[in-house]
Amino acid sequence: MVILDDLMRLPGAMAAFEFRGSGELLEHRIAYPDRINPTTLDLLAHMCSANTSIATMQARGWEQMTAMKGFYPVQEFTLIGFDWSVVVSGLRRERHKQAGRSSLPPFTGVVLANESADYEAAFALLEGGGPAS
Amino acid sequence: MSIVSDLLAQPGVIAAGEYAYRGDRFSYRGALSEEHARMASIMCRATTMGTNMESAMLEALRPGSGLHPPRGWVVRGPGHTVCVMANVFCLLDHTRGSINDIVRLMRQALGDATNELI
Repeated sequence: MVILDDLMRLPGAMAAFEFRGSGELLEHRIAYPDRINPTTLDLLAHMCSANTSIATMQARGWEQMTAMKGFYPVQEFTLIGFDWSVVVSGLRRERHKQAGRSSLPPFTGVVLANESADYEAAFALLEGGGPAS
Repeated sequence: MSIVSDLLAQPGVIAAGEYAYRGDRFSYRGALSEEHARMASIMCRATTMGTNMESAMLEALRPGSGLHPPRGWVVRGPGHTVCVMANVFCLLDHTRGSINDIVRLMRQALGDATNELI
């Protein structure tokens, strides 16, 4: 999983992971096993899956009610915690949908230490590339 | 200046405001109608409450993670981004502004805000 290895090179990267739309953890990389483990990532994946779905519903409703554009589809959801942040993206899935593919790739996420987090660099990596062939 | 004024002075910021955690009031400034700002404040408050509940659950199940207590969240679309920290929200055209700068500004101003009212 090249994208997970690329995400782990971001400043302050603590873990990178992939998960299904239902929230189940698939692949992962962990930089500090004493601080974060697959069980934590699995819970985070479920949390981020739920929040991305809710944000998607809200963005769709917001655009229809306000006629403002640029909110949908949700490209990333980020939770900013006390010391860490989690950034997850489903943009690769959107690209597959738009390309008419029935099999969708997983969501991708990264856990960053807040002090060195570069959110825009994370967005750029998560949004990079087109549909996987 | 207040954090809302500071945010409005940043490039790309469309509107910014505050909501009460108990949900009975809000205020805002920027290019939104009163009704749309009310709707935005309700959605932001609901998501903030949800992420706080989820973070507390995560902390109970896996103590010591660096996520708890949560400070805020960001939702990014193709052209616009919603940034929320504590009880302050900000709508940003991220093609004209920096999400990193907005998050940094909000963390500096609101990073120590208490969440006792949540």
